[in-house]
Amino acid sequence: MIPEQVALTELERDALTEIVNIGVSRAASSLRKMIGEQVLLSVPSIEVVSHRRAARLISEREVAELIAVRQDFRGPFSGRALLIFPETNSLELVRAVTGGELSAEEVVEMEHEALAETGNVILNSCLATMANMLKRSLTMTIPEVLRGNGATLFEVDESGAEEGLVLFLYIDFAVRMRDIRGYIAMLMDIPSLATLKELLDEFIASVVGDDA
Amino acid sequence: MPDTDGGPGGGAGDGKGGNGMARAAGSALNDEQLRAVLAAAGASGSWDWDIAGERLFLDASFADLYGLPTDQIRDGFPTATFFRSIHPEDRPRIRIAVAGMLAGASLFSKEFRVVTPAGKVLWMHGRGQCHLDADDEPLRFTGLLVDVTERKRTEERLRIAQSAGGVGTFEYNDGFATVSVSTEFCVLLGLHPADRLPLRTINSVVSEGELALIPEGVQGALPDTLAGEFLIRRGDDGELRWIARRGEVQYEADGTGYRLLGVIYDVTNAKRQEATLRELAETLEQRVAAEVAERQHAEEALRQAQKMEAVGQLTGGIAHDFNNLLTIIIGSIDMASRRVAPSADPRVRRSLEQAMKGAERAAALTHRLLAFSRRQPLDPRAVNVRDLLEGMSDLLSRTITEAIAIAIDANSGVWMIEADPHQLENAILNLAVNARDAMPEGGSLRITARNAVHSGTGGDMPAGDYVAIEVVDNGVGMDEATLAKVFDPFFTTKDVGKGTGLGLSMVYGFAKQSGGGIDIASEPGSGTRVVLHLPRGDASAVEDQAYHPAAEDFGRPSETILVVEDDDDVRRYAVGALCDLGYRVLEAADGFAALDLLRGRDRPVDLLVTDVVMPRMSGSELAQSAHEIVPGLGVLYTSGYPHDAIMHEGRLGEGVELLSKPFTMQALAAKVRELLDR
Amino acid sequence: MSVTVMIVDDSKLARIVASKALAQLQPEWSKVEAGSAREALEVIENETVDVSLIDFNMSETDGLELAAELRAMRPEMPIAIITANIQDEIIARAREVGAAFIAKPVTSDGLSGFLSGAALKLRTTRA
Repeated sequence: MIPEQVALTELERDALTEIVNIGVSRAASSLRKMIGEQVLLSVPSIEVVSHRRAARLISEREVAELIAVRQDFRGPFSGRALLIFPETNSLELVRAVTGGELSAEEVVEMEHEALAETGNVILNSCLATMANMLKRSLTMTIPEVLRGNGATLFEVDESGAEEGLVLFLYIDFAVRMRDIRGYIAMLMDIPSLATLKELLDEFIASVVGDDA
Repeated sequence: MPDTDGGPGGGAGDGKGGNGMARAAGSALNDEQLRAVLAAAGASGSWDWDIAGERLFLDASFADLYGLPTDQIRDGFPTATFFRSIHPEDRPRIRIAVAGMLAGASLFSKEFRVVTPAGKVLWMHGRGQCHLDADDEPLRFTGLLVDVTERKRTEERLRIAQSAGGVGTFEYNDGFATVSVSTEFCVLLGLHPADRLPLRTINSVVSEGELALIPEGVQGALPDTLAGEFLIRRGDDGELRWIARRGEVQYEADGTGYRLLGVIYDVTNAKRQEATLRELAETLEQRVAAEVAERQHAEEALRQAQKMEAVGQLTGGIAHDFNNLLTIIIGSIDMASRRVAPSADPRVRRSLEQAMKGAERAAALTHRLLAFSRRQPLDPRAVNVRDLLEGMSDLLSRTITEAIAIAIDANSGVWMIEADPHQLENAILNLAVNARDAMPEGGSLRITARNAVHSGTGGDMPAGDYVAIEVVDNGVGMDEATLAKVFDPFFTTKDVGKGTGLGLSMVYGFAKQSGGGIDIASEPGSGTRVVLHLPRGDASAVEDQAYHPAAEDFGRPSETILVVEDDDDVRRYAVGALCDLGYRVLEAADGFAALDLLRGRDRPVDLLVTDVVMPRMSGSELAQSAHEIVPGLGVLYTSGYPHDAIMHEGRLGEGVELLSKPFTMQALAAKVRELLDR
Repeated sequence: MSVTVMIVDDSKLARIVASKALAQLQPEWSKVEAGSAREALEVIENETVDVSLIDFNMSETDGLELAAELRAMRPEMPIAIITANIQDEIIARAREVGAAFIAKPVTSDGLSGFLSGAALKLRTTRA
């Protein structure tokens, strides 16, 4: 049950979608620069769900083990951002971003690094843009590379008494030529989500003005 | 035209420097031409939002739509003008979207309502993009408006039609992990309604071993259409359903990928019918063959029954006539024999004896005919099979040659049966004769009697207790073709003149009429076994005293017998016979005369002997009326004609005495004596 | 003119990417790499460094802190903060420290403005 205080209104959803859109557009643009190829985005779907459900949503979409780049952020709202790829895609991504500069062995050596850096670029672009839109500052940690399935990545608590919620942003971003795709997820506790909601309202007010 | 990347998913590419609306002077097309081009493309207007300069440039169509003065087009409008004519309910949403664009989001694609100056509400689809500068800063936001009012209505109708018609739609971009779906799509698969569903979730409802409903990553092997049918297990209730999929594959212009667009709908009912039909079709041949075989069998059985029936009727008719003739012949020969003087030429006596034998054999024959046609009146009584068989051993020895060993086996535990003993003897004799004929070089013949309990299944004999009388030989046996016809009347394996072929059919008739059955098995070269089943008799029945042909019984003058017979010759014979036996005999040609005689008599009549079938008044009618005059009057019916009202299922009614024609003097004498003695 | 550019980034990939862009724009310039702020300070003590490209998001000492230190040591050195973290605040802080701001991923386009500026400055300084 999503608590009342963080259930988003339609307009808030629109605003969040828009902000996320900007962030991800920026990130996709960065990715395109790194790869040199067309990046296609789907319309983002946004859900505020429990950890368990987030894990399940990912499992429904992906069969393989997953690789994720994780970055924590702190500020008026705090949490953790994940950039998630199906594991099968990750080397492809590395190859894409290193652009033939490296030999095959070097690519494998660099995998961890390359992912971390790519994740860094994408998550930072995204989070930073969102912060700018909401006119606030966030501090980001160094990105980490993790491997696991939905449950491990979202740290699903078996007892089920998880206080935090996940802002599960599902965006299909695909580099067709390379068979790369991924998702972005942000885990936040309820107070953070409540603050986010307030900031969204501020944003809406500033944009919509008298039309609200 | 604005520079756009990619399909509906949008492109995040940098559309730097798109030429948008060619605002600068010296553009390739002048405004009027541009407007015409755009109008031809279905655009209801286009805009160019100068972000840095904070000015909004609109084309004439857009301006018209919003009711703006067209002379201001060149100078542009305040950016807030964009929202001016947008429906107040849609405005907040669009403001947010535009804010996103101005901040650098890549694709603007929104539907919203526009209220014209005339107050008309139109649905518009605004599609635009943001152009960034070298530093990725948003420079311009350009786009087109397309009137989609009609399409919205169609979509609404389509949506209604979809949910009413149970049609779900989907769109899948190759490479993505989710599929764009309609609510109905989710409902059909029993999944939670959503705009996008994960590929895996959709394909997980498909049954084991089936192809994926939405195929993923199939390069180059895509068919032109998506037509197919899938067996799924619905997500919510787990029910098995058949889902049909139709659609098409759209390849991206640059050949990088493809899109699948299609619909699904539930075809479970049709599929089930199809399956039933297919099963029926597949088994049709077998079922037809089975039906035909069954019908043939039934037809065969019917034919057989009809044949038997026809023959029965034929023989019955003939037998009747024969009977009457034979009665006369036998009676006459009988009488002649008695009157031959001892001193007469011995050849005369011998001739008469031969004639008598011949006539008796003819009588036996007609009896067999009648037996076969099952109209032989049976006189069943309690019979001890063992005693009967033992009594026959003499007769059998005389009939069967010495080259054949005979064994009779019946222990004392064999049940009593209820049957006509005379006919039973005939039947057994018949079987023995057949067995003899099958063993021209000699062999062995075995007759056994044992108890048998039938369960009633698979045969035409009801369940119950029976006594099985077996006649087994090791003679030439019969092949299958012969076996099939063995009970047919007139079918015979014997040479001309050596048998009438009525033997087994008579036995068959007798068995059936007695409430039992007959089985026959044979193997060419090994022999034959015939089993006669007869129902066990009522245990309380009193065993008939040894059945012996009765000795001649004579009558007394004090006993008066009234003979009623419409056939003069038969009547004369009967009257003559009875007189010879010493009785006082009265005669009448019909019932009326008979009744007159009964009434006028001062001396009582002790016995009425009457034919059953007579014109004007039948024997039973006469008996009824006679009983009114002389209650307790004994009645002996004579009859050569099988169908008699007094008979029920081939057996005589209770208390009814019948003497069948032709009858010998002996038979007549015995019966009359018996009745008078009661 | 011989110019040495120090590239400071904890990600090897990022250093490769930056080097690539640099090589495209100024092939005759040489480069030196450092994987952290500490390493960078070592390098600067032992070698001649004319231009610094510094990643913001590093552990221990972040890029802006390092930039501030370098600015104190070398008031005239062209410094650019390279990062994907394009928050306004970061941009503002970079400006405060007198550093340029270049958004990741680094491309020759993105770098060219800063590099031409740096080249000009160096010529004038040395002149």
